[in-house]
Amino acid sequence: MSELTRSQSIFVRHEFAIRRLHSLLGIVPLGLYMCIHLTTNASLLNGTETFQRAVYYIHSLGAALPLVEWGGIFLPLLFHAILGVWIIKTGKSNLGSYRFTGNKRYTWQRWTGLLAFVFLMFHVLHLHGWFHFGPWLAVMKPLGFANFYPYNAASSLAMAMDDWAWGLFWPAFYLIGVWATVFHLANGLWTAGITWGLWISPAAQERATKVCVAFGVLLTVIGTAAWWAAVAPGPAEIAQARETENEMYEAALKTGLVYDMPEKRYEAEEGTEAETDGAEAIIIEETIIVEPATEDSEEEAETETEPSEPAS
Amino acid sequence: MIALEPSIKNRPEFINVRVRRQDGPGQKPYWELHKIKYEREMNVISVLQRIAAQATTVDGKKVTPVAWDCGCLEEVCGACTMVINGRVRQSCSALVDRLFEENADEIVLEPMTKFPVLRDLMVDRSRLFKALERVEGWVPVDSYYNLGPGERISREDQERNYPLSQCMSCGCCLEACPQFTKIELTRQEGETEEAFEARKKAEYDEAFVGPHAISQAMLFNNHPTGKALAAERLEALIGPGGISACGNAQNCVAVCPKEIPLTTSIARAGRATTLHAIKKWFDR
Repeated sequence: MSELTRSQSIFVRHEFAIRRLHSLLGIVPLGLYMCIHLTTNASLLNGTETFQRAVYYIHSLGAALPLVEWGGIFLPLLFHAILGVWIIKTGKSNLGSYRFTGNKRYTWQRWTGLLAFVFLMFHVLHLHGWFHFGPWLAVMKPLGFANFYPYNAASSLAMAMDDWAWGLFWPAFYLIGVWATVFHLANGLWTAGITWGLWISPAAQERATKVCVAFGVLLTVIGTAAWWAAVAPGPAEIAQARETENEMYEAALKTGLVYDMPEKRYEAEEGTEAETDGAEAIIIEETIIVEPATEDSEEEAETETEPSEPAS
Repeated sequence: MIALEPSIKNRPEFINVRVRRQDGPGQKPYWELHKIKYEREMNVISVLQRIAAQATTVDGKKVTPVAWDCGCLEEVCGACTMVINGRVRQSCSALVDRLFEENADEIVLEPMTKFPVLRDLMVDRSRLFKALERVEGWVPVDSYYNLGPGERISREDQERNYPLSQCMSCGCCLEACPQFTKIELTRQEGETEEAFEARKKAEYDEAFVGPHAISQAMLFNNHPTGKALAAERLEALIGPGGISACGNAQNCVAVCPKEIPLTTSIARAGRATTLHAIKKWFDR
């Protein structure tokens, strides 16, 4: 009990600093990272190569990348999110009685924050997998998580989006998640300006609102473009992208642009990727069109083999 | 003040008034419907006077008169603040003819929800005043000797300070604030009055001070004599339940009957505490 009250008092004593840190982390690194992330992903609209080059650039950090991911993104995100949940619990929305714009923004800031937290936790699990640790991945991959392969960036991303519920679940989840997160950032930028005392007068706050709305709209466009780039490709485009990526990989490896890390490649098998991938694409198309026929022929084959079994 | 409405054509004969009553602290609240004769140019106070005089509900049941609090009757003391038709305001300046524009059927009266109810529409606003003590919302003058004439206050500062000085500690901003939540403690068995007061103060001191106190801190920090305590006030705002508990919903400024720029004060306090914290960090 005394331990509990002491830890509470430490938190209460430093509440100001902790909450200012919460506000700061929301902008740098999290907000800044989000802008870079969405813009990088939107670059996929320009082509597989553009996106793959950007991913190579990020992964040129090599062994330092996990440090950057954890120190610069995951840990600040966890801090911001967990403290955010605590902040939500300190207030009680009264939107029913006072339907002012500011009050709506207050309430939406909290709901989008919660949504963003759930979205980002699943987003990171879905593509990154949280921990790049063998036994963990051995469990998560069969469950349909940790799907992103940086050296096959566009193709593995597009395939991951197609995973569940006839390829409907993840796209819907990502679109809602991205929009909620963008609102949370744009509105959070505005409240942070008040928190730190950047914009003071009502006129200044009104101007800041306009800037934040413009920023939010821009980031929504970029974010939606990034989303579309990930969900739009069909099987043929994915196969085409993988071919391009594998060609790029060969060249990049030779010129020392990437590290030879097979775990960052989709089905890290050696050999002539171009050919096998071409064949795969055909197989995918075939199974879609000719599925009932193959099932029938399999049944026929089984019935044919049945009588011969006792003889052998 | 809101102008009277002499041009209304269809004046009703009676007024239905729904009151949320409570017999004492910690008791279960209940609703009661009263019906009084309409008179011209009534405010909610005169409605409550009629209700108290007849002390009979619409069903003809004899009841104790509804209790409420009031003082100045001209919207400067803040004592008669209550929730009228779902919105917090003063009952003295809530004119019946205007209330009919919001709801023609009845007037709904409730006590403020963020303060402990003493009885019916009366609440205990002591936390509001404790918050002013926390930020030392005053000018430190002991008046044992003549201090001479005060420092000249520039016109600019006068214009900034005057709106803030209009605060009447009514509690509207706190009622509408989603970050200001109710604290209601009950005296325990065997607890002395002093111990109970101390327990309340300790509890209040860790909770959100509220926009009114932040605004008063900014008023006196911008006052030539008041600014002697500027650092202490900022320390209070950096402390638990200070400025960082604000969630920027900005309801306070929207409901303030005196139209005090509370959110401007909050942003100003944000800047002042930022600078104060940086200064403190490098000075120690």
